[in-house]
Amino acid sequence: MSNDKQRDSLQAEEIRSTGSPLLSANHESRTDEADSSVAMGSLCVEKPQGFFAERPLPAIEMAPRRLRYLTRRDVLLFGAGAVAALAGGGFLLPQETLSRLGVRRNMDSPGKEWFLNKALRIDDDVAEALYSGNRRVPTYTKSQITTLKNNYNGATPDPGYISGWKLTLDGLASGIGISIDIRNLLTRFSVHEQITRLVCVEGWSAVAWWAGLRFDDLIRAYAPMSQAKWARVESSVNLDNSGNPDPYFMSIDLATARHPQTLLATHFNGQLLTVDHGAPLRLLVPVKLGLKNVKAITKITYSTEEPRDYWAERGYSRYDGI
Amino acid sequence: MAHSAPHVNESNATSGPPKRGVLVVKKHHLLVRWSHWLNVPILLGLILSGISIYWASPVYQHKPDPDTGNFDVAADIGIWICAHVPGLHHYSSPPDWIYNHMSLGPGMLALALRLHWLCAYLFMLNGIVYVAGLVMGRGWHSLLPRRTDLFDALRMLRCYLGFPFAKLARRQWLHLRFNTKYNALQRAAYFSVPVAGFLSVATGWAIHKPMQLHRLAALFGGYDAARVWHFWLMWIYILFVVPHVILVFADGWDTLRSMIVGWSTRVKRSEAIANE
Repeated sequence: MSNDKQRDSLQAEEIRSTGSPLLSANHESRTDEADSSVAMGSLCVEKPQGFFAERPLPAIEMAPRRLRYLTRRDVLLFGAGAVAALAGGGFLLPQETLSRLGVRRNMDSPGKEWFLNKALRIDDDVAEALYSGNRRVPTYTKSQITTLKNNYNGATPDPGYISGWKLTLDGLASGIGISIDIRNLLTRFSVHEQITRLVCVEGWSAVAWWAGLRFDDLIRAYAPMSQAKWARVESSVNLDNSGNPDPYFMSIDLATARHPQTLLATHFNGQLLTVDHGAPLRLLVPVKLGLKNVKAITKITYSTEEPRDYWAERGYSRYDGI
Repeated sequence: MAHSAPHVNESNATSGPPKRGVLVVKKHHLLVRWSHWLNVPILLGLILSGISIYWASPVYQHKPDPDTGNFDVAADIGIWICAHVPGLHHYSSPPDWIYNHMSLGPGMLALALRLHWLCAYLFMLNGIVYVAGLVMGRGWHSLLPRRTDLFDALRMLRCYLGFPFAKLARRQWLHLRFNTKYNALQRAAYFSVPVAGFLSVATGWAIHKPMQLHRLAALFGGYDAARVWHFWLMWIYILFVVPHVILVFADGWDTLRSMIVGWSTRVKRSEAIANE
């Protein structure tokens, strides 16, 4: 206790040196405080206040040496952290960005790919956890329809393929693949209409009026092999920019394929699909990004393992649930 | 940015012959300091990758130019800059100027998206750390807006803006005194930025998962409107950072140190007198 008293008088003296008459009054009031707070060297008297009110910061006395030591230590740690952040950030930047910054060396490494893909998988897992088969996407009225551009990644195919078109199904429970033409599909399955939003990975979106058969109905009619969890949806008529064949293939989980709003669309704006929009049959899966909505589907293959995906091989995510 | 209300400083405390301690206050909790500095690389990553993503489908577009086919307002600005800024007349690709200087670069959507998701998850984790620090250090009390803040903030703004002129004219310009940890303008800024962070995360989710979270998207006026929100929220950080950095350096080492070390030797009279 005598020690505390000594500290007290030290502080009181110090406060007096700042020359405020109010301070001595404070000193007196503080001596009534509990011993513990005196021992802390706190100059603060905590009065009961409103829950939201700002409380004064408790001031304590610290040896200048200790303050210098803490400052030195934390500034050094801070500097080390800044260097680490700079190195980490540089490590993760795309090569193109680095070369623009004047880095000549190729900094691409398997470790970097692995790390960024890991982050992408986490986001895919979150998307999968968010998905609910019972949740319908919003539908719109005809007055809310917006224009939908032809977003074929490469050249638009010549319509010649449409006359001989057939949909091939593989990976079925029966073990044999089958082919169906468009007339057969349209007569066997009931057609459902919906006006939904198509969202592109690039950021744009369009509200469009679609009609077609439910993917789920096709799955019921032609049962996939047991344990099948995936479908590979493929278009062999897809072309690259210079007009050369560039088959488009995409993976979709069967849970999403079975969603009631996942259509194998045959109609756009009340008319049969045009070549621009993937005649005669395209996938319309509003709970996925536009790049999963394969145009001019020629083949669907069910599998137990996750199939390859055109855009996942080009650095995009593979689940693409939105 | 806490300013010079009268304080007991180091020199005062050490001037007398007997060696004495310095009066110090803990300005920021450890977790607040950590998350504050982590925001620098994370927000930088989010903004740079975000503008790269913006490139793929700009929010602000016009009808394609008949000569160039350009429809992107950001590309127009780049073309204007290259035409009017000396030394840039021979820039190889004027429409890309903005994207080459304010983003990771044009034409790298997949890479930009991967980095954006990575930084976005880190940003959300960092936000939790920040809030935890505010609660544990009880710093949140100092951030809440007050009824008198609007008027006080305007006075504070006038005071800040007058400083450079007073300095040039070698006139005295007194700093306004206040009795709280932050002045009204600081409080407005330090309160709005976390709110903007929260809204950025919310609009980010709304445009990332517009179907599963369509109610959230509807809250911001739908998918397309949420993209516009997300874009303009970015500018809050940019507009905040510039005066923030200038004022910290203008205010001096003690303020900067308090965000690194936590301790400040600027003990306000209100703190020394304890709720007189």
